[in-house]
Amino acid sequence: MQAFLKRFLLFIFLMVLFYPFFILFCGCFVPQLFRPNINYQLGSYGHMNSRIKEIKSLPSGIDILFLGSSHAYRGFDTRNFNGLKTFNLGSSSQTPIQTNTLLKRYLNKLKPKAIVYEVYPETLSSDGAEATLDLLSNDSQDVNSILMALKVNNIKVYNTLLYGTFVDWFGINRTFTESYKKGKDLYIPGGYVERELSCFMFIKAKKSQLAQFNPVQLKVFGENIEMISEKGIKLILVYAPITRALYNSYHNNNYVDSTMNSYGVTYYNFNNIISLNDSVDFYDAHHLNQVGVNKFNSKLLEMLQLSDAQ
Amino acid sequence: MLFNTLNFGIFLPIVFVLYWFVTNRNLRWQNLLLFVASYFFYACWDWRFMFLLMFSTLLDYFTGLKIEQGGNQKKLWFWLSVVINLGFLGVFKYYNFFAESFAAATAQIGFTTNPLLINVVLPVGISFYTFHGLSYVIDIYFNRIKAERSFVDYAVFVSFFPLLVAGPIERATHLLPQIKRERVFDYARLVDGLRQILWGLFKKVVIADNCAEWANLIFDNYESSSGSTLFLGALFFTFQIYGDFSGYSDIALGTARLFGIELLRNFAFPYFSRDIAEFWRRWHISLSSWFRDYVYIPLGGSKGGVIAKIRNTFIIFVLSGFWHGANWTFIAWGTLNAIYFLPLLLMNKNRNHLEIVAAGKLLPTVKEFSGMVITFMLTVFAWIFFRAENMTQAIEIITKIGSKSIFSIPQFENAVLSIPTILLTIFFLLIEWLGREDQYAIAQLGFKWPISCRWGFYLLLIFLMGLFMKSNETPFIYFQF
Repeated sequence: MQAFLKRFLLFIFLMVLFYPFFILFCGCFVPQLFRPNINYQLGSYGHMNSRIKEIKSLPSGIDILFLGSSHAYRGFDTRNFNGLKTFNLGSSSQTPIQTNTLLKRYLNKLKPKAIVYEVYPETLSSDGAEATLDLLSNDSQDVNSILMALKVNNIKVYNTLLYGTFVDWFGINRTFTESYKKGKDLYIPGGYVERELSCFMFIKAKKSQLAQFNPVQLKVFGENIEMISEKGIKLILVYAPITRALYNSYHNNNYVDSTMNSYGVTYYNFNNIISLNDSVDFYDAHHLNQVGVNKFNSKLLEMLQLSDAQ
Repeated sequence: MLFNTLNFGIFLPIVFVLYWFVTNRNLRWQNLLLFVASYFFYACWDWRFMFLLMFSTLLDYFTGLKIEQGGNQKKLWFWLSVVINLGFLGVFKYYNFFAESFAAATAQIGFTTNPLLINVVLPVGISFYTFHGLSYVIDIYFNRIKAERSFVDYAVFVSFFPLLVAGPIERATHLLPQIKRERVFDYARLVDGLRQILWGLFKKVVIADNCAEWANLIFDNYESSSGSTLFLGALFFTFQIYGDFSGYSDIALGTARLFGIELLRNFAFPYFSRDIAEFWRRWHISLSSWFRDYVYIPLGGSKGGVIAKIRNTFIIFVLSGFWHGANWTFIAWGTLNAIYFLPLLLMNKNRNHLEIVAAGKLLPTVKEFSGMVITFMLTVFAWIFFRAENMTQAIEIITKIGSKSIFSIPQFENAVLSIPTILLTIFFLLIEWLGREDQYAIAQLGFKWPISCRWGFYLLLIFLMGLFMKSNETPFIYFQF
């Protein structure tokens, strides 16, 4: 019995010892095609790398911090909030789990007076793996990375975290600089990503029900709200505009609104506040073009000022 | 609770430690532990169906005792058990199929009926534990075994967690004596169990789940796919179902071995078979032998005239297909296999290949190899029916495969990403070929190597799992049966 346990534990020990080296080897020398579960994408879609580098050099104390998914980093143009010091910390498919990590890392440094937290319902339904990989690849690892990985609980995330840790330790890719201009996207200092102006012809969407919220995401979302409130920071939840055709294809918009209102925080659903044109103001079903962004931001600023005056 | 999840990874060591370190001095306590653990394992799916399992167990336990008492009511108790067991299976698994088929048939002759359909989830493992119970009461009825007195021991026989949800379909003659016998902690057996679990997991999470991705993609887009693409999809499914089900069986056998219990072998390298009769001696062995012993032989087996042989063959193959699910595609799959098998039976060539191919040699002869390729292709063709959603889809796929487009280059979304899956499947086949003379492919592999190389190979299998396993939980195909 003892011999069995000794050998078994030795085998487990060797497995735990060598697995990280195997991951490091594969991450460094094996093409991506043959290592699907190590998804370390430095400078990936969404300019998270540039945003993280910028935030580290930013002075403390800003007026507004924007958080959320691509609807945030493509929807809140920091140049539109004249006179206010703002930063956009949105990232691709950012779910409450990544928001939580970002808040723990940067809230004390940025010390924002207000936070505009973009809430797109599908991010609350997702497992958050894609956004976690983006964050692991473009920011350095700390204990919050481990906590985030445990919440997402996905083999791809664990492997990428391991590889990312080695990358940090050995300083691999330290000299990497992300180009501000990528395809049709241009990174604007302050975190916003501007898309070349184009319009959109929407193909009719199928009527679809939004998925039920993921209980883990909902729990972390509540924690995020609590963390922000505890620091006395003004919080505004925003459902950014999406095309009318897409919005109307969702059955449970009322459920989303009532869930958001239940947190007792100011919540604006801009799909019911401003009237935009699907073709003129958007470049795809989800994202505003610059014309739409300007209209949306102007209305948001107006509402923020109004709420301040009250 | 799936075998390929963290939950099982926590559950198994806890039960193992309690079994060998806490209850090890008392067989009754060990069996009670297995009983409780098995019901907990089952309740993790849906606790409500635990009561169905308990009812089925109680029914067969009591009817078994009554049948053994003999007398006038022996037959009554026997049929009571058979009818109730098959009744549950019929209601949960087949009722909607018969109701819909009846409505469709009456519609053909001009009568419109609105069948009452039931909206109920199929209890996991019902086909397996029902067959356990049935074999038990049949064996008692025909005086092959004695009824079990201990309810806990009998309940462990029915619900032992490694085999509860997808077999192997055990026999009381094989498993009950092991449950009643004291188990000894045997180092070699335990290590062998772990090794078989490792190979089963590799088959499931690396081979089956990766093949499933491409098989699903191609079958879901069959309307726009060429014949060659659909053929490739059928190949992916062929390895998916083998990796999935034989992987499950390996994990089940390995897990049982950790508790000192040997389960019936379920797979013996079926894709290396030289004819379809050999294939059926090597594929889902516990089900094939169940039908052989409880249906085919009582019907007369192959002893009667030609008509009786044909009838009996079709009955067991169609039943075997229907056992898998209430769909005409499964019946077609069973019938097709009967058609494959029949010529061999009629020419008395169905027992030509009893030993594994090329035993003691590295490579097969040309004749053996061609037999393997032909049998494999026949199997791939039959799997199309098994995988298709309905008969129309199956026929459309086969029609396309039979068209000129079979000679085109396969094309599907992200086709290049399937290259690792193809290479892993080749690696897997190579290992299976090297280990084909053993109980499972890596049972003896590397025994002559230095321990560092052997352990290095096991670590490589684990690391490949980490690199290629799917992120989401993927249930085993046979759980739906």
